Amino acid sequence: MVIIAERPRKTVYRDGDRCIKTFDASFSKADILNEALNQARVEETGLNIPRLRGVTTIDGRWAIEYDFIEGKTLAQLMEENPDKLDEYLNDFIDLQLKMHAERCPSLGKLKDKMARKLKEADLDDTTRYDLEMRLNGLPTHAKLCHGDFNPSNIIVRPDGEMFIIDWSHATQGNASADAARTYLLFYLAEKFDLAEKYLDKFCFKSHTAKPYVQKWMPIVAASQSVKGNPEEREFLLSWASVVEY
Amino acid sequence: MEEMKYPIVDGAESFEALLERVRAAERKFASYSQEEVDKIFKAAAVAANRARIPLAKMAVEETGMGVVEDKVIKNHFASEYIYNAYRDAKTCGVIEEDKAYGIKKIAEPVGVIAAVIPTTNPTSTAIFKTLVSLKTRNGIIISPHPRAKKSTIAAAKLVLEAAVAAGAPEDIIGWIDVPSLELTNTLMREADLILATGGPGMVNAAYSSGTPAVGVGAGNTPAIITESADLTLAVNSIIHSKTFDNGMICASEQSCIALDGVYDKVKAEFAARGCYFLSPEETDKVRKVIIVNGTVNAKIVGQKAHRIAELAGVSVPESTKILIGEVESVELAEAFAHEKLSPVLAMYRAKSFEDAVQKAERLIADGGFGHTSSIYINELVEPENLKEFYSRMKTCRVLVNTPASQGGIGDLYNFKLTPSLTLGCGSWGGNSVSENVSVKHLVNIKTVAERRENMLWFRAPDKVYFKKGCLPVALDELGKVLGKKKAFIVTDSFLYKAGYTKPITDKLDELGITHTTFYNVEPDPTLRCAKEGAKLMASFEPDVIIAFGGGSAMDAGKIMWVLYEHPDADFADMAMRFSDIRKRIYTFPHMGDKAYFVAISTSAGTGSEVTPFAVITDEESGVKYPLADYELLPDMAIIDADMHMTAPKGLTAASGIDAVTHALEAYASMMATDYTDGLALRALKVIFEYLPRAYDNGLTDAVAREKMASAATLAGMAFANAFLGVCHSMAHKLGAFHHIAHGIANALLIDEVLRFNAAEVPTKMGTFPQYDHPHTLARYAEIADYLGLGGKDDSEKLENLIKAIDELKERVGIKKTIADYGVTEEAFLSTLDEMTENAFDDQCTGANPRYPLMSELKQMYLNAYYGKHTEV
Repeated sequence: MVIIAERPRKTVYRDGDRCIKTFDASFSKADILNEALNQARVEETGLNIPRLRGVTTIDGRWAIEYDFIEGKTLAQLMEENPDKLDEYLNDFIDLQLKMHAERCPSLGKLKDKMARKLKEADLDDTTRYDLEMRLNGLPTHAKLCHGDFNPSNIIVRPDGEMFIIDWSHATQGNASADAARTYLLFYLAEKFDLAEKYLDKFCFKSHTAKPYVQKWMPIVAASQSVKGNPEEREFLLSWASVVEY
Repeated sequence: MEEMKYPIVDGAESFEALLERVRAAERKFASYSQEEVDKIFKAAAVAANRARIPLAKMAVEETGMGVVEDKVIKNHFASEYIYNAYRDAKTCGVIEEDKAYGIKKIAEPVGVIAAVIPTTNPTSTAIFKTLVSLKTRNGIIISPHPRAKKSTIAAAKLVLEAAVAAGAPEDIIGWIDVPSLELTNTLMREADLILATGGPGMVNAAYSSGTPAVGVGAGNTPAIITESADLTLAVNSIIHSKTFDNGMICASEQSCIALDGVYDKVKAEFAARGCYFLSPEETDKVRKVIIVNGTVNAKIVGQKAHRIAELAGVSVPESTKILIGEVESVELAEAFAHEKLSPVLAMYRAKSFEDAVQKAERLIADGGFGHTSSIYINELVEPENLKEFYSRMKTCRVLVNTPASQGGIGDLYNFKLTPSLTLGCGSWGGNSVSENVSVKHLVNIKTVAERRENMLWFRAPDKVYFKKGCLPVALDELGKVLGKKKAFIVTDSFLYKAGYTKPITDKLDELGITHTTFYNVEPDPTLRCAKEGAKLMASFEPDVIIAFGGGSAMDAGKIMWVLYEHPDADFADMAMRFSDIRKRIYTFPHMGDKAYFVAISTSAGTGSEVTPFAVITDEESGVKYPLADYELLPDMAIIDADMHMTAPKGLTAASGIDAVTHALEAYASMMATDYTDGLALRALKVIFEYLPRAYDNGLTDAVAREKMASAATLAGMAFANAFLGVCHSMAHKLGAFHHIAHGIANALLIDEVLRFNAAEVPTKMGTFPQYDHPHTLARYAEIADYLGLGGKDDSEKLENLIKAIDELKERVGIKKTIADYGVTEEAFLSTLDEMTENAFDDQCTGANPRYPLMSELKQMYLNAYYGKHTEV
């Protein structure tokens, strides 16, 4: 077993044609099983994603086993070939739109998840009330949303086939919310130009008005603030503290 | 103690308890009189007015937004102006009554109102909504915004206590102490009406709650300043409005669009009055701070210009009134193009008025659909531009030369715009109300409508002259009294060639009236024939038209008259069927401006000399145009038996029976009146007695001829006012399809129609207020009695009447069935369905006392064809 990635509370190994993601003890068992279940459900859509091989425990730690996908992440490729950035961005958006075209009726609902996050987020009463009211008024859709769609979650095989990994945040809901999240992730990675380019292209390709995506940004930002990262908090709250009247 | 009196509402359970209390109060309140309500309304308004300063202070302190002194104005407005507007308004019980029409309008409360109150105007909105609820006897529950809950609740509590002291039920006003999305949604779902004020999310939630909602939305008011505007007034009005409560009124100007020719002067005036024009770099800095991802940054709402500049890292004088960014784009990508809820204004230079209007349209479409637009213009100099502006703005308020914040809420800078702090945005803004919301939106209005009967009438020609030998005397009047100079005679070739028009022309010669005669009228006159006559009229220019003959000549004369007076008249329009002659869509053109119309009958039957009807056939399409309008009534009718003496037997019989059916149908009609009944009965009696004599000895029996002439005219006057029925509907089509003379066709169908109408349990009865139950059998019995036919009950009397009619028909040589008149079974059956539908659609069907099904008409046709009665 070779370690291929280490995150604060997760470690990912390769074991031949399998990829094993192990979680540390602080992880909720339910969240781990939910991630595996999400993966299994999305598999049924036929999208290119690693197949779930099993859920197990290794040395007392929960682990999920997937197919190992040979290749580099789209983030790596973008880093390595800056001249091909536009091409990659195009592929990235096309893949996201292909995903949004899928339906996965058993997945959790995006708006429910957002509402939960708004409750968990450390917000003042006014901001929470305004954001809850805003969320309440936004349309309810049923598109397959990834919830963390960014180039590091795309693996490009040597033959060019792209695979979407990490379905732990997957829901069914409004594609604009998914796009708002991607925009925010670019922004948090301080790729400001790429973020703007992404949003323009996404809106153009999906025939979506930009304000429609923007409506989700305060909510997405507030929900992101739950994930911790104190230095990002102030920035995220500046996005969340807006009023509609 | 406070907690005891007003239990804290912070969750589902305490909310349900509150709702129950408010409901109980509202039910009690619903029985209050207008007087009691007005006393409460006044006391509450006074209390709110007295507290205007402490409430304003509290709102600013709590929310950190706005200006105390301006909030004092808003509180003052919400109490004093609202009281003044509705002090005398009727909102309880009967609010309107029209005894003559039997209409009462009764106002009732809707129940419990859910009031969502925003942070921008917490105390004034609370005062406004509670006062209008009290005035309308509603309970109200307030859902405040978390940021402004203390001051909102303070205002509501103050109004409640004053109302209760003045006699209102305890708990008539309630509120949520700890606002949350869940409670707000529950409130909206369970209330009877929502008064939602807030952003699109709130309004959306209100409309999707399933409860009727009066909601309002965002504004993005553009203000155009045109070249004719009073620039000083314009600029200072905008400053006055935009700085009011630091720009938090939703009607407030968000952008100023100045025409190129005045732009620099406008700019100079803004600058001279303490507004700050941002440099391009500063504009960019302010952009970033006012709008975050397309939405207003909460930190700038209701702040002073100086504070906003500080947040943006721009240095401006402390006293700066407004930050102005000179920008070009009206797209949403431009932060300045948004609603900013603060003293920040976009300024645009417009190349032309059209350019200005286009910019305004775009700004409204993107952020202020349905709300408010504003223009500064000299309406006397540029009336067309003003019209163009208000025609194109999709806003429910278009303000002219008025500061928008103060103008939009009404009654301050204009005095007929309803004063309100809840401004409807119409369907453009997704609202159900497009006006300023007022008490009328908070009541259910019941209309109590009592049954009333239509006004009826009796109309006849101005002059009806009759007596054997009266013709020359009557015609005298044309020359000696009316001073007519040129007469146009319309008749048929037989009458003309046989010299029957000579007495008329001789008299006209004697009177010195020049004349010409059109004698080409055929039976069932055609449009071509009428046009031909009208063409001659147009060149002859008569001032009197004399129609001489039977129905055909008189109808042709009427049509020529129409074409002569109104050459562009469209027959399809004039012939359009109507359900009620008073409500017909088409207004018949006025007749008589060019020529006086005289009708002289030569047979006893049609009655056309006294009726407002004429039928013309378009020979090309075969379409018959039956025209009906009192404009077609002749001005003078002359009934002189001398003109009837030579009518042939067949014509005497057919027209005599036609007159019988006129009288029978007019008597049975739903529109029959005492005025027409007398005429119809008398006509029948005379015809039954004299028709056989006129038929037998027409050439010599002058008495019978005169009696028959009178009877036909009497029947004509009866049906000119009571109208006819389905016998004529069916006869018209039978005649048209199978060339059976009109009188004969009626004769063949009348027995069936009498039995049909006499049904005491008809499938459907006719719709007319005075025809209140099926009673046509009794009506026919009255006729039998009048004719002395006998019978032990109504049914027997009807049978005797039918028998008498049959005998009369036989007596004058009329055959029994349609088949007897040579219509083959094949031809009859193949046209039956079309005849049936056309008969159903005939103008005469409307007055029939029994509303026919098409299948019933069809069966009557079949019965009349075979002479075998099958019950219909």
